[in-house]
Amino acid sequence: MKARIVHRSDVLDIVDLLRARGYEVIAPFRVSGRDTCFDTVTDQNRDAIQLHVANPNYPPKRYVLPHIERLLAVKQNGEFKIEPTYEMPKRALFGIRSCDVAGIYHLDRFYLGREFRDVYYENHRKNLFLVNLVCTDPDRDIGNECFCVCTDTGPAARDHFDLQLMDLGDEFLAVAGTAAGEVLFTERIFRPATKEHVERRRAILDATRKRFRKPTTSWFSATVHYISKGDVLEKTWEEIGNRCMECGGCTYVCPACTCFTVSDRRTGPDEIERVRLWDSCALGGFTRMAGGHNPRRAVHDRRNRRFFRKLAHYFIQRELSMACVGCGRCVAVCHGDIGMPAVVEAIRRATGEVAK
Amino acid sequence: MSIGTGKVRLPDVPIPHPSENVYLPKVAVLDRVVPEIADVKTFYWHFADPAEQEAFKRFRPGQFAQVSLFGVGEFPTSLPPSPTEAETFFTVRQVGSCTTALHQLRPGDQFAVRGPYGNGLSMEDYFGRNLVFVAGGIGLIPLRSCIVYALANRDKYKRIQIYYGAKTPAELMYVPNLREWEQLEGVECYLTVDRADAAWTGNVGVVGSLFKKPGVEVAVEDSIAFVCGPPVMFRFVIKDLLEMGIREQDIVSTLERYMKCGVGKCGHCCIGVAYVCVDGPVFTYEQIKNLGEEI
Repeated sequence: MKARIVHRSDVLDIVDLLRARGYEVIAPFRVSGRDTCFDTVTDQNRDAIQLHVANPNYPPKRYVLPHIERLLAVKQNGEFKIEPTYEMPKRALFGIRSCDVAGIYHLDRFYLGREFRDVYYENHRKNLFLVNLVCTDPDRDIGNECFCVCTDTGPAARDHFDLQLMDLGDEFLAVAGTAAGEVLFTERIFRPATKEHVERRRAILDATRKRFRKPTTSWFSATVHYISKGDVLEKTWEEIGNRCMECGGCTYVCPACTCFTVSDRRTGPDEIERVRLWDSCALGGFTRMAGGHNPRRAVHDRRNRRFFRKLAHYFIQRELSMACVGCGRCVAVCHGDIGMPAVVEAIRRATGEVAK
Repeated sequence: MSIGTGKVRLPDVPIPHPSENVYLPKVAVLDRVVPEIADVKTFYWHFADPAEQEAFKRFRPGQFAQVSLFGVGEFPTSLPPSPTEAETFFTVRQVGSCTTALHQLRPGDQFAVRGPYGNGLSMEDYFGRNLVFVAGGIGLIPLRSCIVYALANRDKYKRIQIYYGAKTPAELMYVPNLREWEQLEGVECYLTVDRADAAWTGNVGVVGSLFKKPGVEVAVEDSIAFVCGPPVMFRFVIKDLLEMGIREQDIVSTLERYMKCGVGKCGHCCIGVAYVCVDGPVFTYEQIKNLGEEI
């Protein structure tokens, strides 16, 4: 991988370069207080882009898997005319964290890696340019909930970005992960990096890893082992289920959740559109069939499902990574305090005692 | 544990080209409707595009299709015809909004279909073996495909046994087929009902009661059993078959789940480690037992 140096005052020029190349650039902005969001960069808000802020709760997943997406438009006058509707945006995500890069890569393998490819996802993904920002600021970048050090997805992504930026103080170290990212290095804002820069990068990363509030929150390996072997007691699942309020929040903020539902809606007298929407396994109707039979009636069965899907060895093997990237959003939104680290810990403790 | 491999293997159906949109259904035309039992009708249809019809005809027993009723939604349904038959049709019970919309269609009306999906069965794998079909109620719908396929290749199999039960004589499915199978040389077809009416002269009792009837001898050696029916029947029949000595990996069933996509993406049909739509819907009992979740 090639590395370059960008001066602090030039770093937002990367956004301009991308916009000049025809990309719609998405970047993090501050809303108010700690509330932040991803939004499209315009001439007006360009200077308000935030490099070091709390990671927005609403993940950038929606730029590859929109919350509501039209699949088909159907015209009906005697006969049906079915037209698939494709959106092929040319987008760049600027300043997304390493956890979210891992999230998008997980979605890639899920939607494009199996026997059926998802054309809609592919169209969103095809021209997506990822500019990853390494979390280095312990106060603003790393929240109380972050645990990417436990899922091995951060604080610096190793791969799957086009360009990676890391704050070295007065300068940013830029690393190209793809040929598309490397092309940018011909621009004059990028200067050659020295060995000293790379060493500073290593030193900062070492220091950052130690700044995580609860570095041992999630001992995934033990829990993955218990879940995969089916050792987790029904009682433990019930205790976790009892705390679930079935709001579905964890699935909607998760950068690695993939489930969707499909719905038809009328758009005109003879026009129907078929859309797909994010769905959540936390909701009671997720598995309910037309006759009323619901194989997962109990809340804890559904909670069990979410964590099994994310942590069972079978799926990790199939998708080459856990469906958890350690972003900590589920911890932040869960009213019942059963975000991923809490569940991992609960299972590890309860099952570990029995296994002894 | 292997899902979609081993005894129940992935079909040789063409995998769509990477650029193909797997969510795009194709327009189909309803030809005629035949009532089966109360709430259940058989819908004969064909694709408006003959090329689509030709491609679809490469389905195998045990696969399913997604049926679109635009404005209402889409539902998965098993394919009761055998690939050896000329016509394509679904047999559907009216339960929810989509199936109700299908039941309201008249011949000539259009709807849309995509598929076939799922692993299905490689009936060729069972050449030279005994086939034991056990069905309850509308569980005969997915098994019909296998039975008709087996009868079309009668000389390739040893014994063919059909055990079928319904609640009442009026709830027996595919009656013309049943009558034909009862008459056929080389097919042992046994019927039963839970509650008889005045005209019923056959066996009364659950499907399992047929196994113990005098004159009935379930083929156990070198047999493959296909079981499909309501959960309670399924449990008891499996118990009986295992007791008789049929191995877990030789018992095959098809599972149903709420599904949206049919191609392993929407996440609704997951049972344990398996996506019913791509790893199933056909599973051996050995696999079902190890799925890690209630079926």
